[in-house]
Amino acid sequence: MKKEDTVKLISAEGMEFVIDKEAAMVSQTIRNMLTSPGGFAEAEHGEVTFPEISAVILEKICQYFYWSLQYARGKETEFHIEPELTLELMMAANYLHT
Amino acid sequence: MGGACSRKRDQLENEDGLHRGVSGRYCKSGSSKWLATTFSRPVVEIQREKGKGPSLMELCTYKIREDINNYGSFSMLPRDLSQQIFNELVNSQCLTEVSLEAFRDCALQDLYLGDYPGVNNNWMDVISSQGSSLLSLDLSSSDVTDSGLIYLKDCDHLQALNLNYCDQISNRGLQHISGLSNLTSLSFRRNNVITAQGMSAFSGLVNLSKLDLEKCPGIHGGLVHIKGLTKLESLNIKWCNSITDVDMKSLSGLTNLKSLQISCSKVTDFGITYLKGLQKLSILNLEGCPITASCLDSLSVLASLSYLNLSRCNFSDDGCEKFSKLGNLKVLNLGFNDISDSSLIHLKGLTNLESLNLDSCRIGDDGLVHLSDLQRLKCLELSDTEVGSNGLRHLSGLVNLESLNLSFTGVTDGGLRKLSGLSSLKSLNLDARQITDAGLSALTSLTGLTHLDLFGARITDAGTNYLRNFKNLRSLEICGGGLTDTGVKNIKDLSSLSLLNLSQNCNLTDKALEMISGLTGLVSLNVSNSRITSAGLRHLKPLKNLRSLNMESCKVTANDIKKLQSSHLHHLVNFRPE
Repeated sequence: MKKEDTVKLISAEGMEFVIDKEAAMVSQTIRNMLTSPGGFAEAEHGEVTFPEISAVILEKICQYFYWSLQYARGKETEFHIEPELTLELMMAANYLHT
Repeated sequence: MGGACSRKRDQLENEDGLHRGVSGRYCKSGSSKWLATTFSRPVVEIQREKGKGPSLMELCTYKIREDINNYGSFSMLPRDLSQQIFNELVNSQCLTEVSLEAFRDCALQDLYLGDYPGVNNNWMDVISSQGSSLLSLDLSSSDVTDSGLIYLKDCDHLQALNLNYCDQISNRGLQHISGLSNLTSLSFRRNNVITAQGMSAFSGLVNLSKLDLEKCPGIHGGLVHIKGLTKLESLNIKWCNSITDVDMKSLSGLTNLKSLQISCSKVTDFGITYLKGLQKLSILNLEGCPITASCLDSLSVLASLSYLNLSRCNFSDDGCEKFSKLGNLKVLNLGFNDISDSSLIHLKGLTNLESLNLDSCRIGDDGLVHLSDLQRLKCLELSDTEVGSNGLRHLSGLVNLESLNLSFTGVTDGGLRKLSGLSSLKSLNLDARQITDAGLSALTSLTGLTHLDLFGARITDAGTNYLRNFKNLRSLEICGGGLTDTGVKNIKDLSSLSLLNLSQNCNLTDKALEMISGLTGLVSLNVSNSRITSAGLRHLKPLKNLRSLNMESCKVTANDIKKLQSSHLHHLVNFRPE
């Protein structure tokens, strides 16, 4: 992946997830952060920190982004969610508008 | 996770269908008309862009629904998330008294439990634990009793309360809610036991703006208790057959009233005179009242009157010249009256009319000439009249017409050509046995059509070719028996369809269902009286929006459908056979 096509998502613990920009923009919140003119520092550095989202959840969210892109391309599979993650995942999804 | 995003609360709009041109014909067997959806809760249609999958929020909500018994409490969640989970559990009928516990102290604002099975007093503790956060509560058709309502004293900010069809509530229950002075909307439809005495509980509800007591036979004399509720804007006492002229006196000072429905009461022309001071009255429903055209004298002073329903009032032509005084009217319903073409002259000047209902009146082609200048007409009901193809030429200038009902008239295929220029038409009812494929061919220019009712028309597979142009079609009914699987080929790409009724086409097979499987927007599907079998049910799996399914008189059992419901179609709540 070329650097210009990627973004870095950083969890509460400081763990970094480098993913395709296209995947990250499945989240309306991230999309706004990266595309809004002259607003967010994130747009310049291609990095977004989420001090309230844990690494486990952030990883799951990244999995969702890619699953969503796949689904839109016609590959309709099931997205599995571990029961113990569901509530936290829902709250993060709410924040990320995704 | 941070603060709750404040999403806009869905307003519970319980419109009584005042603006839908409803024809009196509900006697069609296997018709979709039984689906008179009074879903009191907001219908959550999963709007999705083509190809895009479910959001992560949705996936989490469904997962929680599956595992609901593992959750002890949602009180740590932001309110709009617990509200979303609650709504999903109700929409898929998965909420039980046990799982309700998880919603204790969640500060929920809106609890729509109307028609939900099993709701009783045991639910009231958790419901009332929402405390001052609770703003609207729908317990219609529940088994909650008077003592259950005691719990609501904790919900002092309650604004909207719906207790329709609660057979266990009596005057005593009304006392328990008499202190909820923040109430703006209160509804007690079809309660046989509340009386004038019980209505004394309403006198403290000073903020009440909307009161619905439809079908309460015992309330004669009770309107004196609402004399002082000057904020009242909407009052529904339809089918309260004990209401008489003297009850109208109590309403004469309610000068903020905008909407008043007193259909099927005993109010006469004299009672109507008490309404003369209601200068803000905009909607007046007098259907089935023992009145005559004389009351139009009183109504002509109501400067704001724009909607008037006089159907089934046994009007004759006598006195109909008084209609010409009602120049501000936008909606006029004269259905099922004994009026003839000669009365239609007096409507000529009502150029503000947007909707006119002449269902089952003694009118015909000659009368329609008087309507030709009503340029603002959007909706015209001519069902069950002597109107035929000749009369349609008078309508061809009504360029704003959006909805036209010609069911059970004498209109023939040839006459339909005269409608082909009405490009604003969205809804067309041609339920008449003499309409055939040829008639449909004349209408292909009406590409804006969203609703097409060809129920009893004799449409065959050949005719369905003409449907391909109607790319905006949301509702389609063809039940004349002439369709086979071949015809469904022309329907399968009408991707906007949300209602499809093909009942009584007895040659349809499971292949038809295979083709219908792509219509993922479908909310209601009726294929009763056909050769469909349970083997075909698997084709319905993608129809995630389906709420209503009719397969009566097919080789399908209720159990077959229930299996499909629990495995794939979680929002399917109405189905036949049941």
